[in-house]
Amino acid sequence: MTSAPFTDKTNEQKSGQTTAQLIKLLIAIIPNYEESFWHVDTELFGAIAEFDSMTLVTLIGEIEESFDISLDDDDISAENFASVASLTELVLERS
Amino acid sequence: MISTHVEFYQGTKGSLFRIIRTPEHVLAHLLCIAPLFEQANQTRHHITRSAINGYHQGLQTIVYDHYGTGDSGGELVEANLSLWQQDIQRQIEEIKANSAKAIYLSLPLSAVLLLSDEMLSLVDGLILLQPDFNGKRFVQQFKRLALAAKLTQADKKNPTEMNGQENLEIAGYTIDKKLLEQLAGQNLSQLTSFNVDCYWFEWLAKTDELSPGRLKQQQALANKANKLIVQQVAAVKFWQATELQLSAEFLAQEQIAFSQLLSHSAAIS
Repeated sequence: MTSAPFTDKTNEQKSGQTTAQLIKLLIAIIPNYEESFWHVDTELFGAIAEFDSMTLVTLIGEIEESFDISLDDDDISAENFASVASLTELVLERS
Repeated sequence: MISTHVEFYQGTKGSLFRIIRTPEHVLAHLLCIAPLFEQANQTRHHITRSAINGYHQGLQTIVYDHYGTGDSGGELVEANLSLWQQDIQRQIEEIKANSAKAIYLSLPLSAVLLLSDEMLSLVDGLILLQPDFNGKRFVQQFKRLALAAKLTQADKKNPTEMNGQENLEIAGYTIDKKLLEQLAGQNLSQLTSFNVDCYWFEWLAKTDELSPGRLKQQQALANKANKLIVQQVAAVKFWQATELQLSAEFLAQEQIAFSQLLSHSAAIS
């Protein structure tokens, strides 16, 4: 089997692109942090003061529009919005 | 000094708080329609800025609060879509009865959900700011605020069920369920006559592509409106930012749109 490493690399690339796009959305919504603050392990819900319910819903709207996906109401959980990493996972699952 | 008149205007059901800026020589009228719920707060500073810019270009600008919102009379829970639409129409008709100059509507975000064919038949042009004609999606997003609030609140009471059967309480707004149903039913397909000058400002980074959903809405309006001009605003969506922001790029583009509308209306009259 020679295709597995290729698939892994493709998935990694996709995950990296999704994270980058999510960070772009987050910077636009929460502009008062340096760009270096944002990375895959940045914690969101409960860790950033500005990450309130309004921000969360705004982010959901932007994610749906930007990735052309639909999120369920059940997706609105502390776990899914805990960090950029968990959010990346959610977007990839729904894509 | 800007000539500003502040008044309580008699709307359909109650008094509406209005700020009217009238230049010495009125070239046209601009009625600024506030978007709904939290979006009104998120855009208020920008609407004021646009109204002042318009005034300096010869537009009489009218900024008002919908019935049951801001400084206007009544309670939000008493409001309904038809009432808000009648209030807009009443103001347009009053302007028309007293002036032969062109009338334009400024409609940011969810404000377009209040548009009706009757209004479109009375005005000469629209300025749309990131319009979202999808009422169902707007209401879904609004209801999600309640779900999101549950995550942040210590008590786990469902905020949507606090006020019994008929009303909902979401993000501090107590609303008649019927209003949300009416808004959810609004969409572009219900509007037929778009035979007016129409400027659509779309916030989109230069390197980004328009999302399929936004593209679909733009194409749908382009099929209805023969005078649609889409302008890309490559700036932060000021209404979404967690800190107050002014979009200088947009304001500059809007001033050009005002000039074009005014020169068009001057050519016609």
